[in-house]
Amino acid sequence: MSSSTKFLTLKTCDDKKFVLDEAIAVRSQTIKNMVEDDCVSNVIPLPNVDSKTMTKVIEYWKKHSEEGISKDMLMDFDKAFVKVHHSILHALILAANFLNDKEMLDMMCQEVVDRIKGKTPEEIRKEFDIKNDFTPEEEEEIRKENAWAFE
Amino acid sequence: MPPNGRIRCQSLTPDILTDLPNNVIDIILMRLPCEEAVRTSILAKRWRYHWCRLTKLTLDWSLWRTENDLLNPTYKFTEIISQILTLHEGPLTDFTLDVDNLESCRDIGSFINIVLRNNVQILVLHLPEDSKLPTSVFTCSQLRYLSLHNCSIHHPSAFEGFDKLISLELCEVTISSELLESIISHCPLLEQLMLDIPKLLNTIEIDAPMLSSFDFTGNISSICLKNVPLLVEVSLAGYQIMEKDIDFAKVFNSYSAIEYLSLNIACVWFFADEAPKRLPFYLNRVKHLHLSHVELKESYTRSCALCLIQSFPHLEYLKIELIVVFKNPLELERFSDVTFNHLREVEIISFRGTTPEMQLIKILLAKSPVLVKMYIDPAILIDTGSEILAELVNFQRASPEAEIDIKYYGKLELNRVETNVDRVV
Repeated sequence: MSSSTKFLTLKTCDDKKFVLDEAIAVRSQTIKNMVEDDCVSNVIPLPNVDSKTMTKVIEYWKKHSEEGISKDMLMDFDKAFVKVHHSILHALILAANFLNDKEMLDMMCQEVVDRIKGKTPEEIRKEFDIKNDFTPEEEEEIRKENAWAFE
Repeated sequence: MPPNGRIRCQSLTPDILTDLPNNVIDIILMRLPCEEAVRTSILAKRWRYHWCRLTKLTLDWSLWRTENDLLNPTYKFTEIISQILTLHEGPLTDFTLDVDNLESCRDIGSFINIVLRNNVQILVLHLPEDSKLPTSVFTCSQLRYLSLHNCSIHHPSAFEGFDKLISLELCEVTISSELLESIISHCPLLEQLMLDIPKLLNTIEIDAPMLSSFDFTGNISSICLKNVPLLVEVSLAGYQIMEKDIDFAKVFNSYSAIEYLSLNIACVWFFADEAPKRLPFYLNRVKHLHLSHVELKESYTRSCALCLIQSFPHLEYLKIELIVVFKNPLELERFSDVTFNHLREVEIISFRGTTPEMQLIKILLAKSPVLVKMYIDPAILIDTGSEILAELVNFQRASPEAEIDIKYYGKLELNRVETNVDRVV
Protein backbone atom coordinates (compact mmCIF):
# COMPACT_ATOMS: atom_id res chain seq x y z
CA MET A 1 0.00 0.00 0.00
CA SER A 2 1.33 3.42 -0.92
CA SER A 3 -0.50 5.77 1.42
CA SER A 4 0.50 5.68 5.05
CA THR A 5 -1.97 4.21 7.49
CA LYS A 6 -4.20 6.76 9.24
CA PHE A 7 -5.32 6.15 12.79
CA LEU A 8 -8.43 7.29 14.59
CA THR A 9 -8.95 7.52 18.33
CA LEU A 10 -12.32 6.37 19.63
CA LYS A 11 -13.45 7.22 23.14
CA THR A 12 -16.10 5.07 24.81
CA CYS A 13 -18.62 6.25 27.41
CA ASP A 14 -16.42 5.02 30.25
CA ASP A 15 -13.55 7.23 29.02
CA LYS A 16 -11.40 4.46 27.56
CA LYS A 17 -9.57 5.28 24.35
CA PHE A 18 -9.06 2.96 21.40
CA VAL A 19 -6.61 3.78 18.63
CA LEU A 20 -7.67 2.10 15.42
CA ASP A 21 -6.68 2.01 11.75
CA GLU A 22 -9.09 4.28 9.90
CA ALA A 23 -9.58 1.66 7.17
CA ILE A 24 -10.99 -0.69 9.81
CA ALA A 25 -12.98 1.89 11.78
CA VAL A 26 -14.94 2.95 8.69
CA ARG A 27 -16.75 -0.39 8.78
CA SER A 28 -18.95 1.76 10.98
CA GLN A 29 -21.08 3.91 8.69
CA THR A 30 -21.45 6.39 11.56
CA ILE A 31 -17.67 6.84 11.82
CA LYS A 32 -17.31 6.84 8.04
CA ASN A 33 -19.79 9.71 7.75
CA MET A 34 -17.89 11.67 10.39
CA VAL A 35 -14.59 11.13 8.58
CA GLU A 36 -16.05 12.07 5.21
CA ASP A 37 -17.69 15.19 6.60
CA ASP A 38 -14.41 16.17 8.22
CA CYS A 39 -15.95 16.34 11.67
CA VAL A 40 -13.14 14.32 13.16
CA SER A 41 -10.84 16.47 15.26
CA ASN A 42 -8.75 14.30 17.53
CA VAL A 43 -11.00 11.95 19.33
CA ILE A 44 -14.30 10.43 18.21
CA PRO A 45 -16.64 10.13 21.18
CA LEU A 46 -18.87 7.07 21.31
CA PRO A 47 -21.31 8.05 24.07
CA ASN A 48 -23.46 4.95 23.65
CA VAL A 49 -20.80 2.25 23.75
CA ASP A 50 -18.77 1.03 26.72
CA SER A 51 -15.20 -0.21 26.52
CA LYS A 52 -16.04 -3.86 27.12
CA THR A 53 -18.43 -3.89 24.18
CA MET A 54 -16.10 -1.84 21.99
CA THR A 55 -13.31 -4.37 22.57
CA LYS A 56 -15.61 -7.07 21.14
CA VAL A 57 -16.66 -4.89 18.21
CA ILE A 58 -13.03 -4.17 17.33
CA GLU A 59 -12.20 -7.86 17.58
CA TYR A 60 -14.95 -8.51 15.03
CA TRP A 61 -13.86 -5.68 12.72
CA LYS A 62 -10.24 -6.77 12.77
CA LYS A 63 -11.08 -10.38 12.00
CA HIS A 64 -13.31 -9.33 9.13
CA SER A 65 -10.61 -7.06 7.72
CA GLU A 66 -7.85 -9.67 7.79
CA GLU A 67 -6.29 -10.21 4.42
CA GLY A 68 -6.57 -13.65 2.89
CA ILE A 69 -8.90 -15.04 5.55
CA SER A 70 -11.09 -17.81 4.16
CA LYS A 71 -14.89 -17.79 4.17
CA ASP A 72 -14.92 -20.92 6.34
CA MET A 73 -12.65 -19.35 8.93
CA LEU A 74 -14.86 -16.27 9.09
CA MET A 75 -17.95 -18.43 9.48
CA ASP A 76 -16.36 -20.29 12.39
CA PHE A 77 -15.33 -17.00 13.95
CA ASP A 78 -18.84 -15.55 13.59
CA LYS A 79 -20.42 -18.66 15.03
CA ALA A 80 -18.28 -18.45 18.14
CA PHE A 81 -18.65 -14.66 18.32
CA VAL A 82 -22.43 -14.71 18.78
CA LYS A 83 -22.43 -17.46 21.39
CA VAL A 84 -22.51 -15.05 24.33
CA HIS A 85 -24.86 -14.35 27.21
CA HIS A 86 -27.88 -12.38 26.11
CA SER A 87 -26.77 -9.31 28.06
CA ILE A 88 -23.62 -9.11 25.91
CA LEU A 89 -25.63 -9.85 22.79
CA HIS A 90 -27.87 -6.96 23.75
CA ALA A 91 -24.93 -4.57 24.22
CA LEU A 92 -23.42 -5.64 20.91
CA ILE A 93 -26.71 -5.09 19.06
CA LEU A 94 -27.05 -1.60 20.49
CA ALA A 95 -23.42 -0.85 19.58
CA ALA A 96 -23.77 -2.22 16.03
CA ASN A 97 -26.95 -0.20 15.63
CA PHE A 98 -25.36 3.02 16.92
CA LEU A 99 -22.18 2.49 14.88
CA ASN A 100 -24.38 1.58 11.92
CA ASP A 101 -22.54 -1.56 10.89
CA LYS A 102 -25.27 -3.34 8.96
CA GLU A 103 -23.42 -6.58 8.47
CA MET A 104 -22.72 -6.98 12.17
CA LEU A 105 -26.22 -5.87 13.16
CA ASP A 106 -27.77 -8.42 10.81
CA MET A 107 -25.61 -11.19 12.22
CA MET A 108 -26.48 -10.35 15.84
CA CYS A 109 -30.19 -10.05 15.04
CA GLN A 110 -30.09 -13.41 13.28
CA GLU A 111 -28.71 -14.89 16.49
CA VAL A 112 -31.67 -13.46 18.43
CA VAL A 113 -34.00 -14.91 15.77
CA ASP A 114 -32.34 -18.31 16.13
CA ARG A 115 -32.83 -18.16 19.89
CA ILE A 116 -36.53 -17.29 19.49
CA LYS A 117 -37.45 -19.69 16.70
CA GLY A 118 -39.49 -22.72 17.64
CA LYS A 119 -39.89 -21.69 21.28
CA THR A 120 -43.08 -21.10 23.22
CA PRO A 121 -43.67 -17.59 24.62
CA GLU A 122 -42.76 -18.90 28.08
CA GLU A 123 -39.46 -20.27 26.81
CA ILE A 124 -38.64 -17.02 25.01
CA ARG A 125 -39.35 -15.00 28.17
CA LYS A 126 -37.03 -17.28 30.10
CA GLU A 127 -34.27 -17.15 27.48
CA PHE A 128 -34.20 -13.35 27.45
CA ASP A 129 -35.39 -12.54 31.00
CA ILE A 130 -38.52 -10.87 29.70
CA LYS A 131 -40.93 -9.91 32.43
CA ASN A 132 -44.52 -10.79 31.59
CA ASP A 133 -46.45 -7.66 32.53
CA PHE A 134 -49.83 -8.90 31.31
CA THR A 135 -52.58 -10.01 33.65
CA PRO A 136 -53.87 -13.53 32.90
CA GLU A 137 -57.04 -11.92 31.52
CA GLU A 138 -55.10 -9.72 29.12
CA GLU A 139 -53.03 -12.66 28.01
CA GLU A 140 -56.15 -14.65 27.31
CA GLU A 141 -57.54 -11.79 25.25
CA ILE A 142 -54.44 -11.64 23.06
CA ARG A 143 -54.48 -15.38 22.54
CA LYS A 144 -58.06 -15.10 21.37
CA GLU A 145 -57.30 -12.15 19.12
CA ASN A 146 -54.67 -14.12 17.22
CA ALA A 147 -56.01 -17.59 17.88
CA TRP A 148 -54.70 -18.96 14.56
CA ALA A 149 -51.11 -18.23 15.55
CA PHE A 150 -51.36 -19.98 18.91
CA GLU A 151 -52.96 -23.23 17.77
CA MET B 1 -38.54 6.74 47.27
CA PRO B 2 -41.57 5.58 45.27
CA PRO B 3 -41.99 1.83 44.89
CA ASN B 4 -41.23 2.06 41.20
CA GLY B 5 -37.72 3.27 41.88
CA ARG B 6 -36.97 0.29 44.05
CA ILE B 7 -38.08 -2.16 41.42
CA ARG B 8 -35.94 -0.47 38.81
CA CYS B 9 -32.85 -0.71 41.02
CA GLN B 10 -33.37 -4.37 41.59
CA SER B 11 -33.40 -5.45 37.99
CA LEU B 12 -29.83 -4.91 36.95
CA THR B 13 -29.71 -7.25 33.98
CA PRO B 14 -31.48 -5.43 31.16
CA ASP B 15 -34.53 -6.98 29.62
CA ILE B 16 -32.58 -7.47 26.47
CA LEU B 17 -35.29 -7.68 23.91
CA THR B 18 -37.67 -5.17 25.28
CA ASP B 19 -35.49 -2.08 25.29
CA LEU B 20 -34.08 -2.58 21.80
CA PRO B 21 -34.79 0.23 19.35
CA ASN B 22 -37.80 -0.28 17.10
CA ASN B 23 -35.74 -0.64 13.94
CA VAL B 24 -33.84 -3.54 15.52
CA ILE B 25 -37.02 -5.27 16.68
CA ASP B 26 -38.32 -4.89 13.12
CA ILE B 27 -35.24 -6.65 11.76
CA ILE B 28 -35.77 -9.51 14.20
CA LEU B 29 -39.50 -9.86 13.53
CA MET B 30 -39.06 -9.76 9.77
CA ARG B 31 -36.76 -12.76 9.96
CA LEU B 32 -39.25 -14.84 11.92
CA PRO B 33 -41.97 -16.87 10.20
CA CYS B 34 -45.19 -14.84 10.25
CA GLU B 35 -46.82 -17.09 12.85
CA GLU B 36 -43.96 -16.73 15.30
CA ALA B 37 -43.79 -12.98 14.75
CA VAL B 38 -47.48 -12.73 15.68
CA ARG B 39 -46.87 -14.86 18.77
CA THR B 40 -44.41 -12.28 20.13
CA SER B 41 -47.48 -10.15 20.90
CA ILE B 42 -47.92 -12.13 24.10
CA LEU B 43 -44.37 -11.73 25.47
CA ALA B 44 -44.96 -8.41 27.23
CA LYS B 45 -46.91 -5.18 26.79
CA ARG B 46 -44.20 -3.50 24.78
CA TRP B 47 -44.35 -6.39 22.30
CA ARG B 48 -48.06 -6.53 21.85
CA TYR B 49 -48.40 -4.44 18.69
CA HIS B 50 -44.91 -4.64 17.27
CA TRP B 51 -45.73 -7.21 14.64
CA CYS B 52 -48.67 -5.12 13.42
CA ARG B 53 -46.24 -2.53 12.09
CA LEU B 54 -44.15 -4.98 10.11
CA THR B 55 -43.40 -3.62 6.65
CA LYS B 56 -42.84 -7.09 5.26
CA LEU B 57 -45.31 -10.00 5.33
CA THR B 58 -44.92 -13.46 3.88
CA LEU B 59 -48.10 -15.54 3.95
CA ASP B 60 -48.03 -19.08 2.65
CA TRP B 61 -49.70 -22.45 3.06
CA SER B 62 -47.76 -23.25 6.25
CA LEU B 63 -50.14 -20.84 8.03
CA TRP B 64 -53.40 -22.41 6.95
CA ARG B 65 -52.56 -26.03 6.38
CA THR B 66 -55.04 -28.21 8.21
CA GLU B 67 -53.51 -31.53 9.02
CA ASN B 68 -55.58 -32.57 11.96
CA ASP B 69 -59.04 -31.78 10.74
CA LEU B 70 -60.88 -32.07 7.50
CA LEU B 71 -61.69 -28.40 7.28
CA ASN B 72 -61.15 -26.83 3.89
CA PRO B 73 -57.95 -24.75 4.23
CA THR B 74 -59.76 -21.88 2.52
CA TYR B 75 -61.74 -21.26 5.74
CA LYS B 76 -58.63 -20.92 7.79
CA PHE B 77 -57.00 -18.78 5.12
CA THR B 78 -59.94 -16.37 5.22
CA GLU B 79 -59.84 -16.20 9.00
CA ILE B 80 -56.13 -15.48 9.14
CA ILE B 81 -56.19 -12.93 6.38
CA SER B 82 -59.03 -10.92 7.86
CA GLN B 83 -57.34 -11.00 11.27
CA ILE B 84 -54.06 -9.72 9.86
CA LEU B 85 -55.82 -7.03 7.87
CA THR B 86 -57.69 -5.82 10.94
CA LEU B 87 -54.58 -5.53 13.06
CA HIS B 88 -51.88 -4.47 10.61
CA GLU B 89 -51.16 -0.77 10.45
CA GLY B 90 -48.78 1.49 8.58
CA PRO B 91 -46.94 0.83 5.34
CA LEU B 92 -46.51 -2.65 3.94
CA THR B 93 -43.76 -2.49 1.34
CA ASP B 94 -42.79 -6.12 0.89
CA PHE B 95 -45.60 -8.64 0.43
CA THR B 96 -45.57 -12.31 -0.52
CA LEU B 97 -48.75 -14.35 -0.85
CA ASP B 98 -48.45 -17.99 -1.81
CA VAL B 99 -51.89 -19.53 -2.25
CA ASP B 100 -51.21 -21.78 -5.21
CA ASN B 101 -52.64 -24.84 -3.50
CA LEU B 102 -55.85 -23.18 -2.35
CA GLU B 103 -59.05 -23.26 -4.28
CA SER B 104 -59.62 -20.07 -6.13
CA CYS B 105 -61.86 -17.83 -4.02
CA ARG B 106 -63.05 -14.28 -4.12
CA ASP B 107 -61.39 -13.46 -0.81
CA ILE B 108 -57.97 -13.78 -2.37
CA GLY B 109 -58.64 -11.06 -4.90
CA SER B 110 -60.18 -8.63 -2.43
CA PHE B 111 -57.39 -9.28 0.04
CA ILE B 112 -54.78 -8.46 -2.58
CA ASN B 113 -56.66 -5.31 -3.50
CA ILE B 114 -56.58 -4.10 0.10
CA VAL B 115 -52.90 -4.88 0.53
CA LEU B 116 -51.99 -3.06 -2.65
CA ARG B 117 -53.24 0.23 -1.24
CA ASN B 118 -50.13 0.25 0.92
CA ASN B 119 -47.52 1.42 -1.60
CA VAL B 120 -46.14 -2.07 -2.03
CA GLN B 121 -42.67 -2.10 -3.57
CA ILE B 122 -41.95 -5.81 -3.55
CA LEU B 123 -44.83 -8.09 -4.56
CA VAL B 124 -44.76 -11.86 -4.98
CA LEU B 125 -48.00 -13.68 -5.82
CA HIS B 126 -48.47 -17.42 -6.31
CA LEU B 127 -52.13 -17.73 -7.17
CA PRO B 128 -54.38 -20.77 -7.50
CA GLU B 129 -54.45 -22.26 -10.96
CA ASP B 130 -56.61 -20.48 -13.51
CA SER B 131 -57.15 -17.42 -11.39
CA LYS B 132 -57.18 -13.98 -12.86
CA LEU B 133 -54.63 -11.46 -11.69
CA PRO B 134 -56.41 -8.60 -9.88
CA THR B 135 -56.01 -5.59 -12.15
CA SER B 136 -55.15 -3.42 -9.15
CA VAL B 137 -51.60 -4.76 -9.53
CA PHE B 138 -51.26 -2.52 -12.57
CA THR B 139 -51.94 0.58 -10.53
CA CYS B 140 -49.02 -0.03 -8.15
CA SER B 141 -46.69 2.60 -9.48
CA GLN B 142 -44.21 2.11 -6.61
CA LEU B 143 -43.38 -1.49 -7.50
CA ARG B 144 -39.68 -2.30 -7.74
CA TYR B 145 -39.90 -6.08 -7.80
CA LEU B 146 -42.82 -8.06 -9.18
CA SER B 147 -43.13 -11.82 -9.34
CA LEU B 148 -46.32 -13.52 -10.56
CA HIS B 149 -47.02 -17.24 -10.73
CA ASN B 150 -49.91 -19.32 -12.10
CA CYS B 151 -52.37 -16.72 -13.20
CA SER B 152 -53.83 -15.28 -16.31
CA ILE B 153 -53.04 -11.67 -17.01
CA HIS B 154 -55.49 -9.58 -18.97
CA HIS B 155 -55.20 -6.19 -20.40
CA PRO B 156 -55.78 -3.67 -17.65
CA SER B 157 -57.99 -0.71 -18.38
CA ALA B 158 -55.55 1.73 -16.86
CA PHE B 159 -51.85 1.00 -17.07
CA GLU B 160 -49.33 3.78 -17.26
CA GLY B 161 -46.27 1.64 -16.76
CA PHE B 162 -44.12 0.58 -13.83
CA ASP B 163 -41.72 3.49 -13.68
CA LYS B 164 -39.70 2.06 -10.81
CA LEU B 165 -39.76 -1.63 -11.62
CA ILE B 166 -36.31 -3.23 -11.64
CA SER B 167 -37.18 -6.90 -11.65
CA LEU B 168 -40.05 -8.77 -13.31
CA GLU B 169 -40.75 -12.51 -13.02
CA LEU B 170 -43.63 -14.25 -14.77
CA CYS B 171 -43.92 -18.00 -14.24
CA GLU B 172 -46.57 -20.27 -15.71
CA VAL B 173 -48.74 -17.31 -16.53
CA THR B 174 -51.13 -16.92 -19.42
CA ILE B 175 -50.59 -13.68 -21.24
CA SER B 176 -50.82 -12.48 -24.81
CA SER B 177 -47.61 -11.65 -26.65
CA GLU B 178 -48.84 -8.12 -27.27
CA LEU B 179 -49.56 -7.43 -23.61
CA LEU B 180 -46.24 -8.90 -22.50
CA GLU B 181 -44.34 -6.81 -25.00
CA SER B 182 -46.21 -3.73 -23.91
CA ILE B 183 -45.59 -4.33 -20.19
CA ILE B 184 -41.86 -4.82 -20.74
CA SER B 185 -41.53 -1.71 -22.82
CA HIS B 186 -43.32 0.28 -20.10
CA CYS B 187 -40.71 -0.55 -17.46
CA PRO B 188 -37.93 1.91 -18.29
CA LEU B 189 -35.65 0.80 -15.42
CA LEU B 190 -36.06 -2.95 -15.84
CA GLU B 191 -32.80 -4.79 -15.13
CA GLN B 192 -33.92 -8.38 -14.56
CA LEU B 193 -36.49 -10.28 -16.56
CA MET B 194 -37.48 -13.88 -15.92
CA LEU B 195 -40.13 -15.48 -18.11
CA ASP B 196 -41.39 -19.03 -17.90
CA ILE B 197 -44.29 -18.98 -20.30
CA PRO B 198 -45.29 -22.21 -22.01
CA LYS B 199 -47.66 -20.66 -24.51
CA LEU B 200 -46.65 -17.58 -26.42
CA LEU B 201 -48.34 -17.36 -29.77
CA ASN B 202 -46.57 -14.49 -31.46
CA THR B 203 -43.04 -13.17 -31.39
CA ILE B 204 -42.29 -10.64 -28.72
CA GLU B 205 -39.65 -8.01 -29.30
CA ILE B 206 -37.85 -7.19 -26.10
CA ASP B 207 -37.14 -3.52 -25.80
CA ALA B 208 -35.50 -2.90 -22.44
CA PRO B 209 -32.60 -0.48 -22.51
CA MET B 210 -31.51 -1.17 -18.91
CA LEU B 211 -31.91 -4.95 -18.99
CA SER B 212 -28.85 -6.81 -17.70
CA SER B 213 -30.22 -10.28 -17.02
CA PHE B 214 -32.73 -12.33 -19.02
CA ASP B 215 -33.91 -15.81 -18.16
CA PHE B 216 -36.38 -17.48 -20.50
CA THR B 217 -38.13 -20.83 -20.55
CA GLY B 218 -40.59 -21.48 -23.32
CA ASN B 219 -40.74 -21.28 -27.06
CA ILE B 220 -37.45 -19.61 -27.90
CA SER B 221 -38.59 -18.89 -31.43
CA SER B 222 -40.98 -16.34 -30.03
CA ILE B 223 -38.25 -14.21 -28.49
CA CYS B 224 -36.45 -11.40 -30.23
CA LEU B 225 -33.91 -9.42 -28.23
CA LYS B 226 -34.46 -6.16 -30.00
CA ASN B 227 -33.04 -3.39 -27.87
CA VAL B 228 -30.94 -4.68 -24.99
CA PRO B 229 -27.60 -2.85 -25.12
CA LEU B 230 -26.69 -3.68 -21.50
CA LEU B 231 -27.65 -7.34 -21.48
CA VAL B 232 -24.86 -9.37 -19.89
CA GLU B 233 -26.49 -12.54 -18.66
CA VAL B 234 -28.79 -14.77 -20.73
CA SER B 235 -30.32 -18.10 -19.96
CA LEU B 236 -32.52 -19.86 -22.50
CA ALA B 237 -34.37 -23.12 -22.10
CA GLY B 238 -36.89 -24.50 -24.52
CA TYR B 239 -39.14 -27.41 -25.12
CA GLN B 240 -37.51 -29.74 -27.58
CA ILE B 241 -40.52 -30.39 -29.75
CA MET B 242 -41.00 -26.80 -30.68
CA GLU B 243 -37.41 -25.93 -31.29
CA LYS B 244 -36.69 -27.53 -34.61
CA ASP B 245 -36.28 -24.30 -36.43
CA ILE B 246 -35.18 -21.60 -34.08
CA ASP B 247 -33.67 -18.67 -35.83
CA PHE B 248 -30.95 -17.75 -33.36
CA ALA B 249 -29.82 -14.90 -35.52
CA LYS B 250 -33.22 -13.37 -34.86
CA VAL B 251 -33.15 -14.11 -31.14
CA PHE B 252 -29.84 -12.34 -30.75
CA ASN B 253 -30.88 -9.65 -33.14
CA SER B 254 -29.19 -6.62 -31.65
CA TYR B 255 -25.58 -6.08 -30.84
CA SER B 256 -24.90 -7.89 -27.68
CA ALA B 257 -22.61 -7.58 -24.69
CA ILE B 258 -23.53 -11.00 -23.36
CA GLU B 259 -20.88 -12.48 -21.05
CA TYR B 260 -22.87 -15.19 -19.32
CA LEU B 261 -24.73 -17.60 -21.56
CA SER B 262 -26.68 -20.54 -20.31
CA LEU B 263 -28.42 -22.85 -22.76
CA ASN B 264 -30.57 -25.82 -22.09
CA ILE B 265 -29.23 -27.64 -25.07
CA ALA B 266 -32.34 -29.65 -25.79
CA CYS B 267 -33.31 -26.38 -27.38
CA VAL B 268 -30.18 -26.04 -29.40
CA TRP B 269 -30.95 -28.51 -32.12
CA PHE B 270 -31.19 -25.40 -34.10
CA PHE B 271 -30.05 -24.58 -37.61
CA ALA B 272 -30.77 -26.44 -40.80
CA ASP B 273 -30.25 -30.09 -41.60
CA GLU B 274 -26.51 -30.02 -41.65
CA ALA B 275 -24.54 -29.80 -38.45
CA PRO B 276 -22.99 -26.36 -38.13
CA LYS B 277 -19.29 -25.56 -38.16
CA ARG B 278 -19.81 -22.23 -36.52
CA LEU B 279 -22.65 -20.35 -34.91
CA PRO B 280 -25.05 -18.31 -37.00
CA PHE B 281 -24.76 -15.50 -34.45
CA TYR B 282 -21.81 -13.64 -33.11
CA LEU B 283 -21.35 -13.35 -29.37
CA ASN B 284 -17.66 -12.89 -28.87
CA ARG B 285 -17.82 -11.52 -25.33
CA VAL B 286 -19.12 -14.68 -23.72
CA LYS B 287 -16.93 -15.68 -20.77
CA HIS B 288 -19.22 -18.14 -19.00
CA LEU B 289 -20.98 -20.88 -20.91
CA HIS B 290 -23.32 -23.29 -19.21
CA LEU B 291 -24.82 -26.09 -21.30
CA SER B 292 -27.40 -28.32 -19.70
CA HIS B 293 -29.10 -31.43 -21.08
CA VAL B 294 -26.22 -32.13 -23.41
CA GLU B 295 -26.60 -35.33 -25.40
CA LEU B 296 -23.33 -36.53 -26.83
CA LYS B 297 -25.34 -38.94 -28.93
CA GLU B 298 -25.80 -39.01 -32.65
CA SER B 299 -23.25 -37.10 -34.60
CA TYR B 300 -25.53 -34.21 -35.57
CA THR B 301 -26.62 -33.17 -32.11
CA ARG B 302 -23.17 -33.76 -30.78
CA SER B 303 -21.72 -31.46 -33.38
CA CYS B 304 -23.98 -28.70 -32.16
CA ALA B 305 -22.65 -29.02 -28.64
CA LEU B 306 -19.07 -29.08 -29.84
CA CYS B 307 -19.74 -26.15 -32.12
CA LEU B 308 -20.95 -24.13 -29.13
CA ILE B 309 -17.99 -25.02 -26.97
CA GLN B 310 -15.51 -23.71 -29.49
CA SER B 311 -17.45 -20.68 -30.63
CA PHE B 312 -16.48 -18.22 -27.96
CA PRO B 313 -12.91 -16.96 -28.17
CA HIS B 314 -12.92 -15.45 -24.66
CA LEU B 315 -14.47 -18.35 -22.81
CA GLU B 316 -13.22 -18.59 -19.21
CA TYR B 317 -15.69 -20.89 -17.56
CA LEU B 318 -17.44 -23.90 -19.06
CA LYS B 319 -20.05 -26.06 -17.42
CA ILE B 320 -21.55 -29.06 -19.20
CA GLU B 321 -24.39 -31.13 -17.82
CA LEU B 322 -24.63 -34.38 -19.74
CA ILE B 323 -27.70 -36.52 -20.04
CA VAL B 324 -27.10 -39.13 -22.69
CA VAL B 325 -23.77 -40.23 -24.04
CA PHE B 326 -23.26 -42.86 -26.72
CA LYS B 327 -20.05 -44.70 -26.99
CA ASN B 328 -18.92 -43.95 -30.52
CA PRO B 329 -15.98 -41.55 -30.58
CA LEU B 330 -16.02 -37.82 -31.38
CA GLU B 331 -14.86 -36.39 -34.66
CA LEU B 332 -11.70 -34.89 -33.33
CA GLU B 333 -10.52 -33.26 -36.51
CA ARG B 334 -12.90 -30.39 -35.87
CA PHE B 335 -10.78 -29.33 -32.91
CA SER B 336 -7.51 -29.36 -34.81
CA ASP B 337 -7.20 -25.57 -35.06
CA VAL B 338 -8.90 -24.61 -31.80
CA THR B 339 -7.30 -23.51 -28.54
CA PHE B 340 -9.09 -22.30 -25.45
CA ASN B 341 -6.74 -19.49 -24.57
CA HIS B 342 -8.76 -18.04 -21.70
CA LEU B 343 -10.47 -21.10 -20.29
CA ARG B 344 -9.81 -21.29 -16.55
CA GLU B 345 -12.44 -23.61 -15.18
CA VAL B 346 -14.41 -26.57 -16.54
CA GLU B 347 -17.22 -28.42 -14.79
CA ILE B 348 -18.58 -31.68 -16.17
CA ILE B 349 -21.75 -32.94 -14.53
CA SER B 350 -23.11 -36.51 -14.80
CA PHE B 351 -19.86 -37.89 -16.13
CA ARG B 352 -19.99 -41.61 -17.03
CA GLY B 353 -16.48 -42.18 -18.32
CA THR B 354 -17.42 -43.11 -21.89
CA THR B 355 -15.08 -42.63 -24.84
CA PRO B 356 -16.52 -39.33 -26.11
CA GLU B 357 -16.42 -37.85 -22.61
CA MET B 358 -12.83 -38.89 -22.11
CA GLN B 359 -11.99 -37.44 -25.50
CA LEU B 360 -13.63 -34.17 -24.59
CA ILE B 361 -11.72 -33.93 -21.31
CA LYS B 362 -8.49 -34.81 -23.09
CA ILE B 363 -9.00 -32.04 -25.62
CA LEU B 364 -9.94 -29.46 -23.02
CA LEU B 365 -6.89 -30.31 -20.91
CA ALA B 366 -4.56 -30.29 -23.86
CA LYS B 367 -5.82 -27.11 -25.45
CA SER B 368 -6.35 -24.82 -22.46
CA PRO B 369 -3.05 -23.22 -21.47
CA VAL B 370 -4.40 -21.28 -18.46
CA LEU B 371 -6.76 -23.91 -17.10
CA VAL B 372 -6.83 -23.98 -13.30
CA LYS B 373 -9.49 -26.51 -12.49
CA MET B 374 -11.34 -29.38 -14.10
CA TYR B 375 -14.20 -30.42 -11.85
CA ILE B 376 -15.94 -33.71 -12.55
CA ASP B 377 -19.21 -34.73 -10.92
CA PRO B 378 -19.60 -38.40 -11.83
CA ALA B 379 -22.83 -40.31 -12.28
CA ILE B 380 -20.93 -43.56 -11.69
CA LEU B 381 -18.78 -44.81 -8.86
CA ILE B 382 -15.13 -43.95 -9.37
CA ASP B 383 -12.76 -45.67 -6.96
CA THR B 384 -9.02 -45.91 -6.60
CA GLY B 385 -8.51 -48.86 -8.92
CA SER B 386 -10.61 -47.45 -11.73
CA GLU B 387 -9.29 -47.43 -15.27
CA ILE B 388 -10.79 -44.01 -15.79
CA LEU B 389 -8.51 -42.57 -13.13
CA ALA B 390 -5.47 -44.26 -14.62
CA GLU B 391 -6.30 -42.66 -17.94
CA LEU B 392 -7.12 -39.20 -16.54
CA VAL B 393 -3.85 -38.83 -14.64
CA ASN B 394 -1.89 -39.41 -17.80
CA PHE B 395 -3.64 -36.89 -20.04
CA GLN B 396 -1.41 -34.15 -21.35
CA ARG B 397 -2.09 -30.74 -19.94
CA ALA B 398 -1.29 -27.43 -21.58
CA SER B 399 -1.52 -25.64 -18.26
CA PRO B 400 0.96 -26.56 -15.53
CA GLU B 401 -1.54 -25.23 -12.96
CA ALA B 402 -4.39 -27.47 -14.04
CA GLU B 403 -5.84 -29.82 -11.48
CA ILE B 404 -8.59 -32.41 -11.71
CA ASP B 405 -11.05 -32.58 -8.87
CA ILE B 406 -13.57 -35.43 -8.77
CA LYS B 407 -16.60 -35.25 -6.54
CA TYR B 408 -16.68 -37.98 -3.84
CA TYR B 409 -13.09 -38.81 -4.72
CA GLY B 410 -11.03 -35.64 -4.35
CA LYS B 411 -8.13 -34.15 -6.24
CA LEU B 412 -6.15 -36.38 -8.54
CA GLU B 413 -2.38 -36.79 -8.20
CA LEU B 414 -1.46 -35.98 -11.75
CA ASN B 415 1.49 -37.32 -13.64
CA ARG B 416 3.50 -34.43 -14.98
CA VAL B 417 3.63 -34.87 -18.71
CA GLU B 418 5.33 -32.54 -21.15
CA THR B 419 2.81 -31.14 -23.53
CA ASN B 420 2.60 -29.13 -26.65
CA VAL B 421 -0.63 -27.29 -27.32
CA ASP B 422 -0.39 -27.59 -31.10
CA ARG B 423 0.20 -31.24 -31.27
CA VAL B 424 -2.50 -32.99 -29.41
CA VAL B 425 -5.29 -34.38 -31.45
